Amino acid sequence: MAKLTLMFENRLVKEVPIGSRPVGIGRSPDNDLPVDNLAVSNYHARVYAEAGRLVVEDLDSLNGTFVNDLRVERATLHDGDSIWVGKHHIKVDASGDTTTLSDTGKKAVAAPRINETMMLDTKARRDALQQAAAMGERTQFAAGRQKVPTLVVLSGNTDQTEYVLTNKLTVIGKSKMATVRLKGWFKPELAAQINQRDDGYYLGPGDKVPAINGAAIPGPVRLNEGDTIEVSGLRMNFIFRD
Amino acid sequence: MQIVSGGVTNVGRVRTNNEDCFRIVEPLNLFVLSDGMGGEAHGEVASAMAVEAIVKHCQETENDPAMTIFADMPATWSEKTKRLSSAVHLANKSIYDAAQANPTRRGMGATVTAAWIDGTRLSIAHVGDSRAYLLRNGNLQQLTSDHSLVAEQVRRGILTPAEAERSEMQSVLLRALGAHPEIEVDSEEHTLFGNDVLLLCSDGLTRMVTEPEIAGTLQAEPDPAKASERLVQLANEQGGADNVTAVVVHIDSERKGWFSWLRGGPRNTAQSIGSAGGK
Repeated sequence: MAKLTLMFENRLVKEVPIGSRPVGIGRSPDNDLPVDNLAVSNYHARVYAEAGRLVVEDLDSLNGTFVNDLRVERATLHDGDSIWVGKHHIKVDASGDTTTLSDTGKKAVAAPRINETMMLDTKARRDALQQAAAMGERTQFAAGRQKVPTLVVLSGNTDQTEYVLTNKLTVIGKSKMATVRLKGWFKPELAAQINQRDDGYYLGPGDKVPAINGAAIPGPVRLNEGDTIEVSGLRMNFIFRD
Repeated sequence: MQIVSGGVTNVGRVRTNNEDCFRIVEPLNLFVLSDGMGGEAHGEVASAMAVEAIVKHCQETENDPAMTIFADMPATWSEKTKRLSSAVHLANKSIYDAAQANPTRRGMGATVTAAWIDGTRLSIAHVGDSRAYLLRNGNLQQLTSDHSLVAEQVRRGILTPAEAERSEMQSVLLRALGAHPEIEVDSEEHTLFGNDVLLLCSDGLTRMVTEPEIAGTLQAEPDPAKASERLVQLANEQGGADNVTAVVVHIDSERKGWFSWLRGGPRNTAQSIGSAGGK
């Protein structure tokens, strides 16, 4: 069975198993893991098992709950993770628990081979989704961190100084229908284009070959935050706005 | 814009029935593709219902523009985008109702990827893991997001695209027509440029044929009907594990204006010879 070990500066404070009931963490003494520190809220967080995985949930604490280095509202726990509340941390031991996920977080969920297209609607399929969602939660930080991809114009003649990328396809050019509209004589209708794909935003050529950080790109290249894009006398920065 | 199109659907080399379905409605420049799912023959029923419902709604709204638009649509969308999105909502409802009415049909569903071209504006409505691509200046750009589990995992940074391609969970959809009475439809508008090539295809193509191969085929074959045949043939040569469908649409700039008249001379008579579509 999985267990949680409350630690303070390498000293073991208390150890509790995780059963069917949630494990309460907080300053109030009636918690399963009481943490005597003013930085910790009375009822700070809780840990429970759900659909074969361990979940930590922050209970709107003032100073937050951290898993490893990330502040979380809710996150799936893996063997070896550390939950931080104030200056205390809680080690997660799920080694005896075969149903929790392996620690890699990068592997596809092992499941029977599926050839037929199907919707996730039976129980087995729901479980598969839940496992996947659990892995997804690792990258889902506390609310308010949603980031918007944005092009900031550094120099050049355009109709706006900043563009938020909302479409699957963003056209840069003189065309009336271009998102990033170039102004001036001899500018191409379609200078370059940006395609939003599952793994990021790709800049590709139009009638011109654009450059990323000074290097010309003949075919689509994925943009990284902070990249400088140059095309047809226009310079822009690709960033994620909060 | 001058529009020429062609499409092919094929059962593949492993399956015994074809659950894919597509329709090209030339006078409207409407293109609809659907991939059905569900046991027995129900996948075929579902995809046919999806295509039928969407085409019917779009045709009716052409004759009666006052028809209701369903669900909330952003005011900035064009009339056609709203109507296409409404049509997908309607298709979902009809498949859902049919599945509920007949217990043996429970679980039937369908993907849909639909494109409607009006002048230089392209409207897309999409649910599921069929895809729309736009080939422009040699770049093959995906206009739709797969509503599949693995694609969602890539978006969340859990899988890399390469890992997703190897995953055994590729067939698991998070969204499809017919599963719920309400559905979220992805809709978007794009501006078309001369020489753009639009491709609608089912996952039977994209799982067998790589994107560079698709781009190469679309560039090498100037005839859309032959290009779609060639793509289906490639998918079958490389396994043909699933039904495979490809619809290819060429958008050619209309040569008009004094400059092209000077270059090419008046060409109003010969314009549509050899073209299947056009407007």
